[in-house]
Amino acid sequence: METTHSHHLEIHSNSVLSNIRPEIKIATTFIIVLSIAFLSLEKNLAIVVQTFVVLLLLYLSKIKISTYFKRLSIDIPFVLFALFLPFLSKGDSTVMFEFFSLPIYETGFNEMISILIKITLCVSLAIVLTATTSNIEIIYGLQKLKISPLLISILSFAIRYIDVFIDEFKRVKVAMKSRGYDQKGLRGLKPIAYASGAMLIRGYERGERVYNSMISRGFNGSIELKKREFKKSYLLYYLSFISIATTIVERFLI
Amino acid sequence: MNNSYLSVNNLNFEYPDGFKALHNINFQIKKNERIAVLGPNGAGKTTLILHLNGILGNLDEKIKIDNFLYNEQNISRIRKTVGLVFQDPDDQLFMPTVLEDVMFGPKNFGFSNEEAENNAINALKKVKMDNFIDKPPHHLSFGQKRKVAIASVLASEPELLVLDEPSSNLDPASRRELIEILKSLEISLILVTHDLPMALEICDRSIILNNGAITTDMKTYEILKDKKIMEENRLELPYGFALHHLEE
Repeated sequence: METTHSHHLEIHSNSVLSNIRPEIKIATTFIIVLSIAFLSLEKNLAIVVQTFVVLLLLYLSKIKISTYFKRLSIDIPFVLFALFLPFLSKGDSTVMFEFFSLPIYETGFNEMISILIKITLCVSLAIVLTATTSNIEIIYGLQKLKISPLLISILSFAIRYIDVFIDEFKRVKVAMKSRGYDQKGLRGLKPIAYASGAMLIRGYERGERVYNSMISRGFNGSIELKKREFKKSYLLYYLSFISIATTIVERFLI
Repeated sequence: MNNSYLSVNNLNFEYPDGFKALHNINFQIKKNERIAVLGPNGAGKTTLILHLNGILGNLDEKIKIDNFLYNEQNISRIRKTVGLVFQDPDDQLFMPTVLEDVMFGPKNFGFSNEEAENNAINALKKVKMDNFIDKPPHHLSFGQKRKVAIASVLASEPELLVLDEPSSNLDPASRRELIEILKSLEISLILVTHDLPMALEICDRSIILNNGAITTDMKTYEILKDKKIMEENRLELPYGFALHHLEE
């Protein structure tokens, strides 16, 4: 049986970030994302500092530039949304200039810049995290951070079974094609809808079987992962601190 | 005196939709005995083995293993004693790595971390999968997954191993390896299978389940020789398979 590897985001580089404890990486990502989100963007220096922190992490992750930009494409919907803002968000109705006789509002324009900067920085952090941490390590880290066991079970099942599910759907599609199905037009969607329904039921039944196999091995509500060895990192502590400090100073002290 | 290890007495089961899956099932097995459960598709074989693990059914003391009746108090002990290997290994292997999956059972049954890991590694050695401990189970081949699924049950040190069609979807070499592994285990075994040569090779005795009832309980060899029994229960030997080579 062939298996799918496409969704595995971890790149196998020997980056210094790879061996750091996943809980530290997750917490750092969370803290820096929050600091960036709360930035008011009135001081250029603060943006420069936060950008520096993110660029440093990107550099340390040893991710290839092409891979980075490919993954950055996930923020396209947000970018599209941001591009509408200068036309829509009036604020105090100050018009900067006109674009094909449509007014561009200053408030909207500033909001657009702010969203573009923040979203790019935050998505970059997520890219760094997923490129240097495997799926299992992320779950392990979340467990260390005392996230609800139920949530962790759901996540680990999702990661485990997404391959099985994708492979199954591929087989269903191949079986459809081999019986002459070619997906064109709106009518082509109907068989896909039926197939999706069948997949849903199969997924549900598989869930039942997996649960049976778990209780037959004495499952009592908690899944425990094996201990893993990682390094501590002060670098990430420092970077989180710099990032929070920048935002606090920018917002409250200057 | 009755020296049976597992005994099933007057077991009946009806699914919620009214389908009667098992009627009046009675059989016993002795300690370290290996039996095969044969029968056509939909005969109730999988339903029966889910009962043996206390997953289906009412736990109303119709089954007894090692002098423990099937009821709520004994359920954890029963699940530890009876190891169930499911038909689709993807249903059974869900942890991120092979080792963690094999440790899942022993940890639930109260083994310490160290014991669980030792047991897991030993079980993986028994099925010759100890080189794969850190691999994610979904990247293994089907045959390898099946072997890990067996290890994941062996690691809890069951006394009765129940396998649901273990040779299905295996290539001949993997099937051979599996047979050798099963023959090397010194525990009681219930083998649900359509693979009659495998049943003959591993199990001296077989029971046939048809339409939810046991129709035959005798020596595997005698069953395979009896054309009438075979036909009545939709059984057939593989083409080219000759029984007379195996005359006792």
